[in-house]
Amino acid sequence: MQPDKLERRLRLAGILIIAGLLVELFSLRWSHPTAFLVFIMLGGGLIGIGILVYLYTLVSREPMKAQTNK
Amino acid sequence: MAGTATYLIVLILVSIALIGYLVIRPSITATKGGKILAFVALLVLPVLAGGMGASEHLEHSKSTRFCLSCHVMEDYGKSLQIDDKSFIPAVHYQNNLVPRDQACYTCHTDYTMYGGLNSKLRGLRHVYVQYLGTVPQQIRLYRPYNNRECLHCHLGARSFEEGATHTQDPKTLPLVKANQLGCTSSECHNYVHDIGKLKEATFWKEGGK
Repeated sequence: MQPDKLERRLRLAGILIIAGLLVELFSLRWSHPTAFLVFIMLGGGLIGIGILVYLYTLVSREPMKAQTNK
Repeated sequence: MAGTATYLIVLILVSIALIGYLVIRPSITATKGGKILAFVALLVLPVLAGGMGASEHLEHSKSTRFCLSCHVMEDYGKSLQIDDKSFIPAVHYQNNLVPRDQACYTCHTDYTMYGGLNSKLRGLRHVYVQYLGTVPQQIRLYRPYNNRECLHCHLGARSFEEGATHTQDPKTLPLVKANQLGCTSSECHNYVHDIGKLKEATFWKEGGK
């Protein structure tokens, strides 16, 4: 994979996880059932998608050997 | 619990700072150290923060403030302040027989997410009704109140085991302990929340204000 593409995916993963963590941070200041839902659905969703993007970036990375053979 | 919340906030802020650094300089992941940093910041710390956050939210959900934050529960909160010793929840709340900050959870330990699968599904239904359905005027328990909620404090207590009414008939206590004779439904301790009587009730003012 090209470094640019890899870096873009890492950035996307990072931004999604930061957004999820910010949602978690704000939901903790609020004692209401809605806060729990926001935490699970929005915060958990953003963190989960961010982690998946990061893991996909890892597995979609081409092995070094293959690159040198070309 | 304030300690756990503080650790969690610090963990979230540290995670955000590390991830922010990776977002600004993703090229550092080309090095071995950068790869380790990315693994910790993008996987380990968010999973840890998510787990701790879920645990903290579960703790919040045990609080009286949390339970009474929905409009439908307001009258049940008021019933804890009724100035009448025959009202069981009020007398427990006002005399610190249950912790005031977890008053609801202490006597309803199997409710929604703390109960079995069916209770959890009911909890999801409550959320649906709260936002998309019609909240009923009066809410009711799904099952008769279980004596277990009373017995986890009263069982073994002298006032309970040797109380005149409880020992008058030798069959009473075994039936109560087996949940075959309801504490709140056998005309003995039947004044529970009774929100229909709130209009004519007088209220205790906390701190004598």
